[in-house]
Amino acid sequence: MAALAGFRAPVVWILLAIAFFTSISGKPVDGVLMLIVAVGLAWDAGRRALRHPEAAEAPAPPRADRLPGRRRRFVVIALLAGAVVYAGVVGSFSRYSWPATAAIIGLSTGVVLIGWHRPVRARPDGGRLPVAGTLAWIVVLVAGCLWELSSLYLQPSLTTDSYPHPTISTLTDPLLATSPGRMLVLLAWVAFGWYLVER
Amino acid sequence: MTWHAVTIAGYLLVVAGIVVLQLLATKTRVPVPSFGELLSRAMRSRTGRVGVLVAWAWIGLHFFAR
Repeated sequence: MAALAGFRAPVVWILLAIAFFTSISGKPVDGVLMLIVAVGLAWDAGRRALRHPEAAEAPAPPRADRLPGRRRRFVVIALLAGAVVYAGVVGSFSRYSWPATAAIIGLSTGVVLIGWHRPVRARPDGGRLPVAGTLAWIVVLVAGCLWELSSLYLQPSLTTDSYPHPTISTLTDPLLATSPGRMLVLLAWVAFGWYLVER
Repeated sequence: MTWHAVTIAGYLLVVAGIVVLQLLATKTRVPVPSFGELLSRAMRSRTGRVGVLVAWAWIGLHFFAR
């Protein structure tokens, strides 16, 4: 039973659902990648449950913050320059082209693998979150997801845009149609990924 | 008011909710966690970490990849 521990995690089922719905809405590459992560996560959790049944879901300790000040500053500047070059180059490719797809898959895979085990930097444990405040966040974020989903299902079809019921993708199309717009959005996306692997 | 305007108003309401909660968390003593604290909590377990990182990856794939 321990080998099936991974399938007890709701995240695995959410990823499997995303893989299914993304595939049937005409994005098979996304679907396959989500499926790989879902199976990998379930396998990893099952493997850890077999080895250490009590620690299957326990957080891994963060990596020690080993870089001294000057070295860290150099690394931050190098990463910043890399992010700007990445956004500039990938933003110059047209959307949904194979070069853009390869660049996005490459960076995504790297970031997910780096962040898989633990944060790259030690952070204090924030303790328990206030229940009411956390619920308020959940209400707002779920409302946003439901609003987007309702717009998606009010379109003539999953792949046809609707003017009366625009999805976020439809609203961002004018921005992403231009190269500078794509560069800006990519830079924000890369910065957010960096922020996440440090958490 | 057209359905287009209603749909956009809905999105703006959600954005306003996010901004208000973040301001309450960072500028007042109201017991609301910040978005960063929420993410840190969600990412404490391995499945949570990977789930959040994959959500980030999915955004890039959705908007740019084939």
